[in-house]
Amino acid sequence: MIARLALASLMARALTVGMTILAIALSVALFLGVEKVRTGAKASFADTISETDLIMGARSGSVQLLLYSVFRIGNATNNVTWESYQDIAARPEIDWIVPISLGDSHRQFRVMGTSQAFFDHYKYRQGRSLEIADGAPMEDLFDAVIGADVAATLAYGIGDPIVVAHGLASFTEHEDQPFRVSGILAKTGTPVDRTVIVSMEAIEAIHVDWQSGAQVPGQSTPVEVIREMDLTPKAVTAALIGVQSPLQTFALQRAINTYGEEPLLAILPGVALQELWGIVGIAETALLAVSSMVVVTALIGMMATIFSSLNERRREMAIFRAMGARPATILGMLVFEAMVMAVAGALIGVALLYLGLVIAQPIVDEAFGLWLPIVAPGLREGQVVVAVVGAGAIVSLLPAIRAYRMSLADGMMVKS
Amino acid sequence: MKPTLPIIALVAAMPAFAQETRSLGAHEHGVAALNIAIDGALVAMEFRAPGADIVGFEYAAESDADRAAITAAIGLLRAPLDLFVLPAAAGCIVTEADADLEGGMADDDHDDHDHDHDQAHDHEDDGHDDHSDEDHEAGHTEFHATYLLTCDDPEALSGISFAYFETFPNAREVEVQLITSSGAQAFEVERASPTLEFGP
Repeated sequence: MIARLALASLMARALTVGMTILAIALSVALFLGVEKVRTGAKASFADTISETDLIMGARSGSVQLLLYSVFRIGNATNNVTWESYQDIAARPEIDWIVPISLGDSHRQFRVMGTSQAFFDHYKYRQGRSLEIADGAPMEDLFDAVIGADVAATLAYGIGDPIVVAHGLASFTEHEDQPFRVSGILAKTGTPVDRTVIVSMEAIEAIHVDWQSGAQVPGQSTPVEVIREMDLTPKAVTAALIGVQSPLQTFALQRAINTYGEEPLLAILPGVALQELWGIVGIAETALLAVSSMVVVTALIGMMATIFSSLNERRREMAIFRAMGARPATILGMLVFEAMVMAVAGALIGVALLYLGLVIAQPIVDEAFGLWLPIVAPGLREGQVVVAVVGAGAIVSLLPAIRAYRMSLADGMMVKS
Repeated sequence: MKPTLPIIALVAAMPAFAQETRSLGAHEHGVAALNIAIDGALVAMEFRAPGADIVGFEYAAESDADRAAITAAIGLLRAPLDLFVLPAAAGCIVTEADADLEGGMADDDHDDHDHDHDQAHDHEDDGHDDHSDEDHEAGHTEFHATYLLTCDDPEALSGISFAYFETFPNAREVEVQLITSSGAQAFEVERASPTLEFGP
């Protein structure tokens, strides 16, 4: 009876109630959206590297090394000499080691020099291997394998020539040594999608005519001569390492970190990632705080509309009382109305979130390389809905208590 | 300039020292590090703690009491399961345990010898004997321990209870790094809540 009256009352005020519900819905959608982006970003970062025990680079910070070696964010402070790399690679603990050489670019994409072993050992998303969607890995010196985004953005196909520029965003391009696309990788959702992969020797070959960072004027070594040259790399930027047994990881890490001939750093990717989250965590908390404030604002808005509706409904309340409704019934009805609005708002908010996800997913993926998975609402969403409804009931108590106190006297004395 | 010449000659004559670099590891009192690697039934642990945490001093042992304290501490550190209590269900036994003090007593691969190079440049009469002064002014000491455990049921390794904080009242925090088949994780265990649950 009371419930029917309450619902009918809500229906009668459809416009204000609708607006209140919309405000709650938007705030819930925003809150859950922030939450989605946050966990999505975290998962996408964590999925970028898997089954690599250590990453080695020049001594800097562990987060920095992780960022430039795996995420291609920022630059290396130093390179590791080939001699040191060979020394470390020869250690008995090492199962596999993959060199990485960065610093050149093709258009807006970074070029990475590495060995064939990269395709065997680089794993992402719980142990998935890279797959070549089209073509084959590098065989020739001037072969390049490109990531899915590179191929899509620049509309490259197998056999297309590409020119590699020295340094990032540089205008001087290595026009003498055109590369050829030999393979295109399947989409991974990792920075590999935006990378042009060439061999370590190719990186050396690009720099044959370059001295001290500038091209020697008038000098251009023909491709045939370069092929004959000794193209042993002089340096690597970083290396991915797999150890024979997890038990040896710490020993190898210490050996690299205390390597006397050159300041090197070895990091555990998982631990460095955790460190990164420690830094990002503050911003995350701020985002969460802001979005939860928005939810609170919407609920306070609802409280305000209930307060103002009390004025219009003085007569109604008085009639209820006159017909024998106890004050508690009035209170219960108002709280119930608020909860109905909160439930509707929260559910519509969840629906809005999914609608937004469906629309934004491909856009976000393309713009930021961030894959937001669309999964059925889980515990988290349930908790938010319950919290919003609970908070809605609590904030509605204030106007409800007021109605509880005033309903009789106030309504009967009305003169207008 | 003149005094540097012999040094240059000396350095040039000793290829082994020619590339000598100077570096000093970080050292924070109150903070120890525990590395744990689990591979099947085998559990390898490495523990490093500043001398200040374990025995309360970091100078080279002078009195008999100092030496006794160090010996006692090493004895305690050789019983890892009393310091880092593992779930009984895992059925872990210690197969190897080793502990020693680095930096104050014997010269290990600590950063000490890098130091006297520094000094050699300042006092050219200092000669060039590496590995000389153990108790120089930056003398931090660290206890190092390595353990190898075998567990009947490694799946039951769900956490560690750090009785370590009760044994060593100066200890404040242990930074734990854990490697399992699912990757590496880091934790911080503080005196206020001396237990660690291995999360998912």
